[in-house]
Amino acid sequence: MRKRWIAVLLAAAMASSVLAGCGKTKERVNEKGESVITIWSPSDEPAIEEWWIEKIDEFNQDHEGKIELRREAIVRADSYAYEDKVNAAITSNDLPDILYVDGPNVSIYAANEVTLPLDDFFSEEEWSDFFDSSKQQNTYGGKIYAVGATESSVALYYNKDMLDEAGISVPEKKEDAWTWSEYYEAAKKLTKDGVVGTNIIMDKGEGLSYVLEQFWISNGTDFVNEDGSSAEGYLNSPEGVEAAEFLNSLIQDGYANIDPIQKEFHNGRAATMLGGSWEVATLEKDYPDLNWGVTYFPVADGDGIPTSPTGDWAASVTKNVQDMDAVKEVMRFLFSEDNVTTYAKAISKPPTRVSSYDVLTEYNEYPRSIFKEQLMETGHPRPRTPSYSVLTAEYAEAMLNIFTGVDPQEALDAAAAAMDKDYNKYYAQD
Amino acid sequence: MQPQQPWTKTITSIMRRIEKGGLAMKKSINKVSERRAAYTFICPAVVLLAAFLIYPSLQTIRYAFTDYNIMRPDRIVFCGFNNFIELFQDEDFWIAVKNTLYFTVLVVPFQTVLALALALLISSRRKGVSIFRAAYFSPQVTSMVVVAILWTVLYNSSPDSGLLNALLVKLGMEPCGFLNDPKAAMNSIIFMSAWQGAGYQMMIFLAGLQGISREQYEAASIDGAGKIQSFFYVTLPGLKSVIQYVVMITVIQAMKLFTQPYVMTKGGPQNSTRTLVYYIYEQGFQKRNFGYACAVAAVFFVIVISLSLGMKKIIKAE
Repeated sequence: MRKRWIAVLLAAAMASSVLAGCGKTKERVNEKGESVITIWSPSDEPAIEEWWIEKIDEFNQDHEGKIELRREAIVRADSYAYEDKVNAAITSNDLPDILYVDGPNVSIYAANEVTLPLDDFFSEEEWSDFFDSSKQQNTYGGKIYAVGATESSVALYYNKDMLDEAGISVPEKKEDAWTWSEYYEAAKKLTKDGVVGTNIIMDKGEGLSYVLEQFWISNGTDFVNEDGSSAEGYLNSPEGVEAAEFLNSLIQDGYANIDPIQKEFHNGRAATMLGGSWEVATLEKDYPDLNWGVTYFPVADGDGIPTSPTGDWAASVTKNVQDMDAVKEVMRFLFSEDNVTTYAKAISKPPTRVSSYDVLTEYNEYPRSIFKEQLMETGHPRPRTPSYSVLTAEYAEAMLNIFTGVDPQEALDAAAAAMDKDYNKYYAQD
Repeated sequence: MQPQQPWTKTITSIMRRIEKGGLAMKKSINKVSERRAAYTFICPAVVLLAAFLIYPSLQTIRYAFTDYNIMRPDRIVFCGFNNFIELFQDEDFWIAVKNTLYFTVLVVPFQTVLALALALLISSRRKGVSIFRAAYFSPQVTSMVVVAILWTVLYNSSPDSGLLNALLVKLGMEPCGFLNDPKAAMNSIIFMSAWQGAGYQMMIFLAGLQGISREQYEAASIDGAGKIQSFFYVTLPGLKSVIQYVVMITVIQAMKLFTQPYVMTKGGPQNSTRTLVYYIYEQGFQKRNFGYACAVAAVFFVIVISLSLGMKKIIKAE
């Protein structure tokens, strides 16, 4: 008899634990009666993780009894892992209050009403202190849906020793930026003895769209049209195909690797690379022996448009928010002049607030000045379209197909058609 | 007996079987209380199954008939058979079916034979054999993601970075784009998958080999059978049911191929490694066509079920 009761109890305990696991929602108020605000952002390098710990402590001390700020660091990896997690949270209505999203995804979440407009979080005067490039990326349908503390840019890093040996000099002014053919010739000359001439990202993921879109823009076209509703005639335009053919020539002729090893340039296995502004800090800190420099992003031959990538992760507020006043308080704290400055310093990326540059004077000096200059003068954010996730996946696939032998026109036609199909299916009637 | 709901029927029939077997000798015990105890015991398992298998499966089938976009859980519209109509005209889907079957048809015999060969090699009681046993089994205990990343490095197309290509070049051959050549990519994945998975099957074969009595081998050798003959006429027949089991689970595992293309090739190059499960992930989570992905999953379910039923039938017919 007793045994059976134990069995019943065990069964009940197991069943209830299962059900308890299912119905759990985000904790909104903790045992001290404080409003709990949760942030999701990608896990990052130690300096930024420390910044978070310090700032969250500071905030929680200042708001004791009212708000408790929490952050969950989510692994981003180098492809779509972070987005997978967010997608899952959208389906289960389990989003945090504040969600960090990559620049081009701002439009997707905004168009689907996953995130909320933030225009009234800052006064007009405060907004005017933020970079246009950042605000542009974070705007959808005329409203601002995200705030970023940092910007990013990509320029051409080069190995000074290798360039000296090959007798190649680099441009020192923006107007003299290498044209594609100059870039190609340099890569050609520099390829030898197991060292490739250049590295064109090749992460098989988001990096491709982020960096390589510039070749489309520079050649007078883009990935999508003005309102982000169609890629047909842009992505696969003659200028676009030309850009793809140029990139493909670097791979096919062996001047860039289709699957480069990690940190190929850092380890002296590539003579140049298209690298992000954040690499400056990595190179300074971890590769002190490497003799390197930075120059401007290459420009298409003829009347090529000077251009460079921009855009970075930004914080948005999700539809699952409950205590809007507390969230506003948190956001105003995270993106105050001070915190934008310290965050940008910790993460070694250019800040988005103009006033931060008064403190971070290193951006007035080479090599960081190159990135600041590009950001203010030639930056182009990624396409603002709710179908961006399809576009970027299709683009990465198309480029890999081209690099392994598919006709560029054919591959880009397929990518453009897939993006347009998605837009027409879900967003055309809105 | 109380009136029964349909779902309890299955459980009752299972219970009956159990009663007929193990509990037969205790027939004298009060049947009602016995039944109650039995239900209590299977309750947690049934609850877990219902929550994590049955309910999600039913939801998948429901979503397969909608235009569910993962970003818009509040705007799901029923769209009839549209997803399925689109699916059967979708070239990428058929490529995924073809790739999945190609992988299964090649990897199953390759991996099974490899596992059997390894098992035979280390079944002898020579000194130091246990080291090899551990070595052959070790890829199995390593996470597939880690193995896949390691092999991506080994397979790197440049002879300066990829170990295998460096070897090929040393031997005077042309380097091979293991993962970049659409003709080679799936074969490269098949090879590394068999290498990773064979250790597990090897252990099952080892257990099976131990089940064959020594007398049979002795009898065979007295009758004048050589090593090869005793393998074909003693070992293989003795392992028949083990082989059937191994083939069955390997087929089902192979059909679910996902990690390797996800980590190593992202389904490329040129669709050559896009498998059905990868296609489901890609459509559902990357492109957010959740309804469409559910339709693919439903079709995938039918394929796997009919395949395993077919195999069961063949095995039974023998």
